[in-house]
Amino acid sequence: MALRTENAAANPQIGHRPARLLPLLTMLVATVVSLAPVPLPGWPELTPAFALMALYHWTIYRPDLLPPVALFAIGVGFDLLSGGVPGVTPLLLLLSRAAVLSCRRRFVNRGFAFVWAGFAILTGAAMFGLWGLDSLLAWRLSSPNASVFRAAVTVALFPIASFVLGRSQHAFLGPA
Amino acid sequence: MIPLSMLRRSAAQRLIAPLLVVFSVTMIVLGKVDQTLFEQLRISATDYAAPLLDGLSRPFVAITDVAERARAMIDTYHRNVSLTEENTRLLHWRQAALALAEENKALRDLLKLAPESARSFVSARVIASSGGAYLRNLLVDAGSENGIARGQAAVVGEGLIGRVSEVGTRAARILLITDLNSRVPVVVERSGQRAILAGDNSEKPALWFIEPAAPLRIGDRIVTSGEGGIFPPGLPVGIVFAVEPGQPRVEPYRRPSQVEYVRIVDYGLAQGLPMPVAAPRGAPHAAPTGIGRTSHR
Repeated sequence: MALRTENAAANPQIGHRPARLLPLLTMLVATVVSLAPVPLPGWPELTPAFALMALYHWTIYRPDLLPPVALFAIGVGFDLLSGGVPGVTPLLLLLSRAAVLSCRRRFVNRGFAFVWAGFAILTGAAMFGLWGLDSLLAWRLSSPNASVFRAAVTVALFPIASFVLGRSQHAFLGPA
Repeated sequence: MIPLSMLRRSAAQRLIAPLLVVFSVTMIVLGKVDQTLFEQLRISATDYAAPLLDGLSRPFVAITDVAERARAMIDTYHRNVSLTEENTRLLHWRQAALALAEENKALRDLLKLAPESARSFVSARVIASSGGAYLRNLLVDAGSENGIARGQAAVVGEGLIGRVSEVGTRAARILLITDLNSRVPVVVERSGQRAILAGDNSEKPALWFIEPAAPLRIGDRIVTSGEGGIFPPGLPVGIVFAVEPGQPRVEPYRRPSQVEYVRIVDYGLAQGLPMPVAAPRGAPHAAPTGIGRTSHR
């Protein structure tokens, strides 16, 4: 048993088959949690973008386990359940993945502050994109306040998500 | 030498992400052009996901209940005093209401007014919210099998919070009065001025096209006017919160985003709700979806 764990840790590419579903599973959980009716004032506007946190983490450390097809399916599922325009969330997830993937090597083995700063930039761009898309689809300039606050809450909560994702990655898939 | 099959696979893998991006954009455009296109898919998705969302929402309800109980225990004395006072006041109002009801009945008999249509309601639990900055809707755990139909009013306590916009078998979506797409014909109870309550995704919807007969006052009660035939007249919506020229706003009686249970009331008017506008693709393609069938049950 000990040998198996050692092997998996030594070569994270191998991993155990069910464990390789971890990134997908965390993306799914993050998406479903975003839909939870939390009875807090202002929650709908400020719901943190949990899925973006999971996407960022896994795209940096295990992009092979988060294929674009899965992101597309999760995004469409979220749009259908949230009542939004289908296509908006998959577009956001796919573009975010592409952006992170293009510079992921700079984030691997770097300090957390650097990774966090990268996430802040990604979140800012994503929320700006969402705001722009909403304004375009509704054909009127909506207030960007909600997006700004949502981005701030998302960035503020990222360390917790990163810790949980990092620990689960270490436990199930071995070190990055 | 790299095998040809590996090169092909690698090329396909590189192509799939851009293709999916193009597909997403196509979906957005199609969904915008024809808003009925994805409705059946949306209803099926919510129906399938309803049990999962129901299970997920329960811990939040439990946490809220515990917090409420703790708060109630701390406030017991003050609450008891205020409830005793309120009870005395309400007993007075009960007598007044009984007298008014009698008088109302007598006047209606005199005028030979047609009796109000019967109403029935279903209580439903909120199992999901829209989770985003640009949507204001709720999913509830009751659908067409519970008698819910498109257009029915969603009420919490004494106030309207929205209307049923999509109905599945086990779940229904409520478009909140705060949503950008919500427009409700209302009337200022004190002055009789008509207006449109227009959601803009903020917690306090705006009053549009208000008749300039008399100045609004903060605290004026806003009720539905009954125009359009979706809601009955006189259904309380909220009170005037801000009266700045050009930007009067209404505070709903209950913040729609913080409700756990809603009453879906059937006033027998739901069939008055028009179907969503389909794209000009010809009538046969825009045939009524599942929503349409349930709304005209």
